[in-house]
Amino acid sequence: MSYVSVFVRNLSVQYGTNSVLKGVNFDIGNGEFICIVGKSGTGKTTLLNSLSGFINYQGIVTVNGNIGFCFQSHSLFPWMTVAENIGFGLSKVNGREKNEIVADLLKKIDLEKYADNYPNELSGGQTQRVALGRAIAYNPQILMLDEPFSSLDIYTRDQMIDWVLKLISELKITVLMVTHYLDEALILADRIFVLKEKNIANILPVSFPKPRLQAIRYTEEFQKRKQELSALINHIDK
Amino acid sequence: MSAKILSKILYSILPVLGVLLLWQALDEFKIINPILIPPPTKVFTAIIEWAKSGELFTDFYTSIWRGIAGLLIGSAIGVLLGLITGRNSRMNLILTPILNVFKAFPPVAMLPIFITFFGIGDFSKIFSISFATIFPLWVNTHLGSSSIPIEFIRSATLLSQSRSKIFFKIIIPASMNSIIAGFRISIAISFIMLYVSELAGASSGLGYQISSSHLSYRIDKMFGALIVLGLTASMIDLISNRVIKYFFPWVQLKKIM
Repeated sequence: MSYVSVFVRNLSVQYGTNSVLKGVNFDIGNGEFICIVGKSGTGKTTLLNSLSGFINYQGIVTVNGNIGFCFQSHSLFPWMTVAENIGFGLSKVNGREKNEIVADLLKKIDLEKYADNYPNELSGGQTQRVALGRAIAYNPQILMLDEPFSSLDIYTRDQMIDWVLKLISELKITVLMVTHYLDEALILADRIFVLKEKNIANILPVSFPKPRLQAIRYTEEFQKRKQELSALINHIDK
Repeated sequence: MSAKILSKILYSILPVLGVLLLWQALDEFKIINPILIPPPTKVFTAIIEWAKSGELFTDFYTSIWRGIAGLLIGSAIGVLLGLITGRNSRMNLILTPILNVFKAFPPVAMLPIFITFFGIGDFSKIFSISFATIFPLWVNTHLGSSSIPIEFIRSATLLSQSRSKIFFKIIIPASMNSIIAGFRISIAISFIMLYVSELAGASSGLGYQISSSHLSYRIDKMFGALIVLGLTASMIDLISNRVIKYFFPWVQLKKIM
């Protein structure tokens, strides 16, 4: 890794008197894919929101580059077509170049025929592809994904994982993704951060060779790592 | 014409025809007093006479212009106030108590005050219609603009640093469902105020015709003017639905209805 993409020291977030994150420290290298896992309420989304500058925090957060963000829901603007949604962040680009970028992205996300459709006319998987397309339209250096596939059925989710694997290998950007699904984390990530007790309790390197295929989830090694990860998440401190 | 469109038209027209036939039958069999409630044949004859004299078109045009002017002015003010109080917490604290006081004033009761200040001409009528239509738009716009999903704002902030772009391309469209709901309520209120304002010091207009026909015991013409006023309100609502659907295709009119 040539440089640090995200640098965090002593990050703390408080909502009123309720402390959600306390003294979080980590570095993320350029091009790394990090999955953040943990039980509900451990601060996963809060961590992404603080790195993106959406909420107030204490501590040091340095993000080297532009951020693209894909939310769990309410991601697309319903009053804009697919093409308009993708092009929304390209205001600094002139008309012709903007159209070219949008056309290229529509091809990349395999939704060229849906350019003039509205979000309510798309399926769940198509909606999330457009959301991702919009997030990467202006070439961010860091992509943050907050449970992007949680509202999808299992078959669509598997398709989306394949699609993200292909997209990320082409773009070579840094990714931070929050997920509840351990399979997803082990297939996609270079490292997995386990959030517990307001902090990152464990960092698990994932050493499966790349490019990864979904078929690895049926291997013994994969199942072993999954059980290990589950034990880390569910471990109750004495 | 397809069978589907034909059946839609029939479903809309048949109940109206049924009501007219029932009304006529009640008169034919002397179940209702024809002096108090003239039969539809007499009412429509009165409408035709009114049209032939040319007065119907003058009255229609006068009322439409007052109603639409008042509706649009009141709507613009209501939407602007709603965006201000919905998106700015300090302005909300300052303006909402005052607006709530004015909202409580019955517009009909305010009419004599408006006439005292502005006279009996068109201005006081348009002003009273505007006053009545401000508050549904203010309340609905406030609710819509203050409850935009945070993800829309966050996405927009990341994608664009321009506050004006976010306001015009995100805040206003995201509030549209609520704004349009308020606008449709205001259409109905504007026609009520139109009628009331034309009772005082008007010399033309549909409301004026209802009142003057009543005073001159032309009950058939009074009913005719009521029907024309009702049809005009329905027409405005229908046209506004079409316009909304064309300019704002993502707004869910069925949910609003």
